[in-house]
Amino acid sequence: MLSTKERLNADVTVRTKALVGAKPILSKRRVDILLAIAVTAIIAVTALFLLFPVVVTVLMAFDARDYIGPFPPTELSTRWFGKLLEDAYIWAGFRTSLLLAIATTAAAAAMGALAALAISWMSPRWRDFVTTMFLSPLVLPGVIIGFGLLMFFAAFNQVPVFLKLFAGHLIITLPFTIRMTLVGLAGISQTLREAALSLGANERQVFFTVTLPLAKNGIAAGAIFAFAASMDDLTISLFMSDFQTYTLPLALTTLIKSSFDLTIAAAAVALMGLTIVLLIVLDSVLGLERAMGHGTNRIR
Amino acid sequence: MTAARSKLMLLLPAVAVFVLFLVFPILMVLNESFHTFEPGRIGSVEGGPLTLANYEELFQPVYAQYFAQTYVLAICSSAISIIFAFPIAYCIARTEFAWIQKASISAIVGLMFLSSLVRVYALELTFGSVGVLAPLMSIMDINTNSRLYINFVILAGLLQYSIPMSILILIGAIKNLNPRLTEAALSLGASALAAHITVTIPLSIRGIVSAFLVSMTLGVSAFVIPLILGRGRILFISNLIYSRFSEIANYPSGAAISIVMMVLALLLILVMSRLATSLERA
Repeated sequence: MLSTKERLNADVTVRTKALVGAKPILSKRRVDILLAIAVTAIIAVTALFLLFPVVVTVLMAFDARDYIGPFPPTELSTRWFGKLLEDAYIWAGFRTSLLLAIATTAAAAAMGALAALAISWMSPRWRDFVTTMFLSPLVLPGVIIGFGLLMFFAAFNQVPVFLKLFAGHLIITLPFTIRMTLVGLAGISQTLREAALSLGANERQVFFTVTLPLAKNGIAAGAIFAFAASMDDLTISLFMSDFQTYTLPLALTTLIKSSFDLTIAAAAVALMGLTIVLLIVLDSVLGLERAMGHGTNRIR
Repeated sequence: MTAARSKLMLLLPAVAVFVLFLVFPILMVLNESFHTFEPGRIGSVEGGPLTLANYEELFQPVYAQYFAQTYVLAICSSAISIIFAFPIAYCIARTEFAWIQKASISAIVGLMFLSSLVRVYALELTFGSVGVLAPLMSIMDINTNSRLYINFVILAGLLQYSIPMSILILIGAIKNLNPRLTEAALSLGASALAAHITVTIPLSIRGIVSAFLVSMTLGVSAFVIPLILGRGRILFISNLIYSRFSEIANYPSGAAISIVMMVLALLLILVMSRLATSLERA
């Protein structure tokens, strides 16, 4: 005597067999094995494709030879890093880039935080519209922003190059600070604000004692994105710079196009170090996953 | 009333920056694109008659070639990156080990944060004509100076951006799916392949479309990648605009190309987001 459950099971088995047929089960398993092999291959090829150039650059930066020889290097040395330290052209670019990134980050973080705060108080329809407008520099081709700014500044006499660079970088970094502050603010429950208000705090006190402390991680994450974007920008800086004031990416581009010197590889390794530091800071202030869920549109 | 006004005041600095450094400049580009170019002069003649000549010029086959070059490579890189990113994103999103997930996401985010110049230089050092793979290429009888090869290297450059980006977007999309749905298909006798094709992929179509869109936007506005990896022989639209400004100072022509490029980029976003919405409803 079969129990109801067993009968049901038998029934399901019969139906499944009828549905799938007896023979395809073998080929089904084969298909799945093929799929597993294909997925493993895809992961391996992609990892190799993405990481191999980075590994090549790191190893070549420690190459002891005078020329770009066969890979991997036969002898290692730190001579290219020594040359990097003495390279006045790269250092001048680095100094401009660093000053510019710090100035841009501070201004963009402050303006972005204020704007995001105002946006978070809007009705959903306005909020979406204004946010889209502010994020537009992420999807506009950088060349167009650069070209427009060039023509804009040409209308004035003698604008200092640093100021032009600052204006351009502000436009491309504000989207990051606004968006990340909004992410930070979204985590704050409205009830907290209302609780503070009902306990007798005024708007100002609520802002400084409730909203700001809770939003500061979002603002910090935005600042990190802004700093990275500013340090990385080439397109807009290319239109704004002159031969005296230039950024690090510009200096590196000139060198890449004109020489096969491995000093550039050493500079690239130094920049990788900077990236790792920024990532660690980002992970500790907001968590990588949360930050990237809302910051993936890094469009240049 | 004063409270509402003070709230709007907070927007003022950001709005001022946007109007001054983004809206004004783009309007100036638009204005410039309707002026005539006078050789030997930087910028257009002020107060001259308005003309559409700069736009008409773009219908010549030479220009179509630049646009085709840019769009074909951008579409290729977007399609390839979806095909490669989807299985990887699925594995990362559904792995049982938290540390594998954390490590792979950190590595991918690290790649995306890496300076674009570092990545382009790394590719040049690896695949360039004097790069470390050059001996291997000559053994395989591949000419590293041919146009086709340069196209491949540029494609590799675009993929270095679009694959990590697509993986991150798709991880988000797949995590939002209920894993039970795919499991149900499997328990009902579907093969893993069939289950993914009929269940997982249709349900994450919005993520797939947005990953494709972001890769496309990156590809069509790419500047640094073709600038260095193209070795001056292959130009994208961005590079063409830059050369109009830097080499022959033909601002009106550069402005007209900029406007066309911008309109195309915005149209792409509009069409793709419509597509995503309609696919999701279907």
